[in-house]
Amino acid sequence: MKPFDFIQPQTTDAALAALAEHSPNVRILNGGTDYVVELKHVAQSPGVVVDISRLQDLKGIEITDAGLRIGAGVTHSEIMADPLIAEHAPAMIDAAHTVGAVQTRNLGTLGGNLVTCVPSMDSGPTLLALDAQVTILGPKGSRQIPLSEFFVFVRKTALEPDELLLEIIIPKENLGKPAGFIKFGLRKGQALALVNAASAFRIEDGKFKDVRIALGAVAPVVIRAAKAEAILEGQAVSEDLINEAAKIAVTEASPIDDFRASKEYRNDLIEVGARRTMQAALAAANA
Amino acid sequence: MTDITLTVNGEEKTASVPPETTLLKMLREDLNYTGAKLGCDVGDCGACTVLVDGIAVNACLMLAGQAEGKNIETIEGLSTLEEYHPIQKAFEDVASLQCGFCGPGMIMSTKALIDQGEELTRDDIKDALSGNLCRCTGYTKIIEGVIDAYEEITGKKVPETNPRAA
Ligand SMILES: Cc1cc2nc3c(=O)[nH]c(=O)nc-3n(C[C@H](O)[C@H](O)[C@H](O)COP(=O)(O)OP(=O)(O)OC[C@H]3O[C@@H](n4cnc5c(N)ncnc54)[C@H](O)[C@@H]3O)c2cc1C
Ligand code: FES
Ligand code: FES
Repeated sequence: MKPFDFIQPQTTDAALAALAEHSPNVRILNGGTDYVVELKHVAQSPGVVVDISRLQDLKGIEITDAGLRIGAGVTHSEIMADPLIAEHAPAMIDAAHTVGAVQTRNLGTLGGNLVTCVPSMDSGPTLLALDAQVTILGPKGSRQIPLSEFFVFVRKTALEPDELLLEIIIPKENLGKPAGFIKFGLRKGQALALVNAASAFRIEDGKFKDVRIALGAVAPVVIRAAKAEAILEGQAVSEDLINEAAKIAVTEASPIDDFRASKEYRNDLIEVGARRTMQAALAAANA
Repeated sequence: MTDITLTVNGEEKTASVPPETTLLKMLREDLNYTGAKLGCDVGDCGACTVLVDGIAVNACLMLAGQAEGKNIETIEGLSTLEEYHPIQKAFEDVASLQCGFCGPGMIMSTKALIDQGEELTRDDIKDALSGNLCRCTGYTKIIEGVIDAYEEITGKKVPETNPRAA
């Protein structure tokens, strides 16, 4: 690793001050499961590394007036063990469980996962399907934006160098919304997603409502399959429509073709993943 | 340089290292705990697994500064020269390991798993060790060793089949 200065603030204010002082030659570190790997390979020192892993404001999972609030510093292991998440957003547990292996999940945080903004991130699809919002803190105070606007491009988010991600909020109306998540990798543990997917909808009067279908590893950022969603929205519940929507979802993605899997194979996975997550959401709605 | 004070296997230790030092490097090169191994250096193999405040982490992915004030457990803390820890004993009895390079990581992951105090199935064990790669054994005897250790330590039985499997 190239030499850098290391700061370990104990409060969020101190962290923001450090970011403001050293921006743009400053980088945030939390679990390090992505960034420490990067630090080992970069040709240039980041200047200053601010370790935010001690900030209490980034911890905790709770129900607030806005909905389910998950601190950006909550680890994947903490998500898997949390009773509120199990009750209100269980698909997040399925997603967290697929991240790396135990050691990675013990250090890696939800916020860190979202900020990496890699197409294959496993927490993205479920959160997008549940219309998650994110709160960003910076020198000018805090701002809240939808997660869909947070993802800008591969490895690029809406964060400025002097800002940090504080929390992720699943809006109140989506707590308990039936949802399903799936990940396809080359093996069960320690494998990046070839394709991952999440679906969520409500069933009202026998009709699909507020349909969300999100796909990962198939475009520069995690995307929603809007045309597939439209196939179901407002229609009477049917397996045939789910099958049709899954086929349409493939047309909305642009997966890569590489040594791990061909484009054709990934397209098949998109259809299967979209279909199975819709079926899982339907099963949850009927449960 | 960053001055670091932490506890390793119950003893307070201090070191002064450059900020770009990983916990693994500090343990091995500054504090002489060479049990945790450097394998891949990117979080894939688990050879560097140690426990930090009771949870298994890849020491190659944690900066030394992040371990400030933490309680670290390494393989050196498990046995004395006279007596093996029950996990080590079980691994020896069933010949879990061949070259042994993955051993310290496998054993520390196993310790973290058993320390959680939950009822374990074979699938739970596989899941808990999926971040520990072994290039020699094919894993079967490692899982047998973990099952024996768990049963010895807790007095419980690992079910033959996983009742939670779909
Ligand atoms: C072996 C291995 C396997 C992995 N497998 C998977 C996998 O299967 N699926 C998957 O999705 N990911 C995987 N990852 C990637 C990584 O573990 C996750 O993305 C993890 O959630 C990152 O969180 P972190 O806290 O470790 O982030 P860090 O490495 O600390 O940071 C990552 C990035 O986010 C920034 N950052 C972190 N927190 C904040 C914040 N609160 N505000 C602003 N910026 C912030 C950092 O500056 C950095 O750019 C794997 C990594 C490893 C090493
Ligand atoms: S050396 Fe740390 S995981 Fe391989
Ligand atoms: S025994 Fe050689 S790597 Fe596991």
